[in-house]
Amino acid sequence: MAASRRTHRPRLTLVLLVLASITIITLDYRGDTKGIVGKASAIAHDALAPIERATDAGFRPIGGFLAGALHGGAIESENARLRSANGALERKVVQTADIRRRLAQLARLDHLPWAGNLPSVAAQVVAQNASNFEATIQLDKGTDNGVEVGMPVVAGAGLVGRVVAVWHTGCTVQLITDVRSNVGVRFGPQGDLGLVAGRGQGRSLAVDLVAPGTPLHRGEVLFTSGLQNALFPPGIPVAWVSSFSSSSSASQESVSAEPSADLAVLSYVSVLQWQPAS
Amino acid sequence: MTTADVAKCSIVLFVAVAFQQVVLDPISVVGAHPEVMVLLCVAAGYVAGPERGAVFGFTAGLVADLFLPTTFGLSALIWCVLAYGVGVGTSGLVRSAWWLLLLVAAGATAIGIALYAMLEAVLGEPGVLTAYLPQALVVGVAGALVLAVPTFKLVAWALPAPVSEASSRSSARGPNR
Repeated sequence: MAASRRTHRPRLTLVLLVLASITIITLDYRGDTKGIVGKASAIAHDALAPIERATDAGFRPIGGFLAGALHGGAIESENARLRSANGALERKVVQTADIRRRLAQLARLDHLPWAGNLPSVAAQVVAQNASNFEATIQLDKGTDNGVEVGMPVVAGAGLVGRVVAVWHTGCTVQLITDVRSNVGVRFGPQGDLGLVAGRGQGRSLAVDLVAPGTPLHRGEVLFTSGLQNALFPPGIPVAWVSSFSSSSSASQESVSAEPSADLAVLSYVSVLQWQPAS
Repeated sequence: MTTADVAKCSIVLFVAVAFQQVVLDPISVVGAHPEVMVLLCVAAGYVAGPERGAVFGFTAGLVADLFLPTTFGLSALIWCVLAYGVGVGTSGLVRSAWWLLLLVAAGATAIGIALYAMLEAVLGEPGVLTAYLPQALVVGVAGALVLAVPTFKLVAWALPAPVSEASSRSSARGPNR
């Protein structure tokens, strides 16, 4: 009897843990735990923030070194190309290029013609992809600076994404390339509508719901539609059309697009203090 | 579990979360990075057996979910089942071969990552399977192979095997060994 109890106890523990997990997932899916989990998540992020800052100087170079080692082949070939091209002068240009790029990004954030009079918060990108199953970035501005969940995030060239989690000193932004991201867009002289959907980091965006025969051209810029209950204000450049095709039997055009903002080299972005209508 | 065990496990979880956030997350290879938290749960099942491993996996999952904007509780569900499975699957093994630990680490990490993606797909995000899973698997398994030995040692310090299991393992190896 005692041996049987010992055998069954781990199974009973597992069943209880699985039931607890399913209950938590169900409550979270229904939105019942958003407040509690949001607060707990903010506390956890805030608790770790000082350690991240304190260890940043020590650990970040290790992460950078390991990342560099993993990309060793590409770096070597790039170095060889640079050496053969222009020697010391070329290296100098490369060293200053990153600084110029950051400055240019910051300067562009000062002149966002499509942001209108919307107040904004400039923020620095401090991390990418908290999980392997989402395309996100983390910023160094949070509720202390007026950032809230749902606010759009833009870079100099266009839309980057929207804030999905926030704590006192930072926030997480879901990029428009994430598979969960959908952005309503308007384009062309007729103001045709479409839906830009993410297909994962480094992949082109899909433009859905474009009626067959809609006039399109390569390079056509897609802007946020700003329709009723839209998640983004109108008129922000989202992407440009990179390819399109149509067949007679298709119910919609097959359109691919590239993000207007270069999401691979983001350093500074701007959080627009705008909230979608509930 | 004694109070000392709980304290040690808390320290291990805290160190692992900080290590993940500060060191591993910036190592992005084609958009994916190594996952020490999954490996931690695999190690818990391997070292401490199915029951204690499952409890550790559940707790680690809840902690990890606090830092992710995805569905809360998903990691807890998968990691407790994963740790339990590793505990049951390896309980009868004679652990003398050095490569067994690496095999378990790589195989179970791959299963854990794939399960996570499949459950995300079931919960309404089928794009996850094609957009993120392949690179997450490759980078996750490579990271598990590199981090396996220190992670298993760390978990063995925090969560030693129960006395009954430890004695049964030593008796399985024979009286003179």
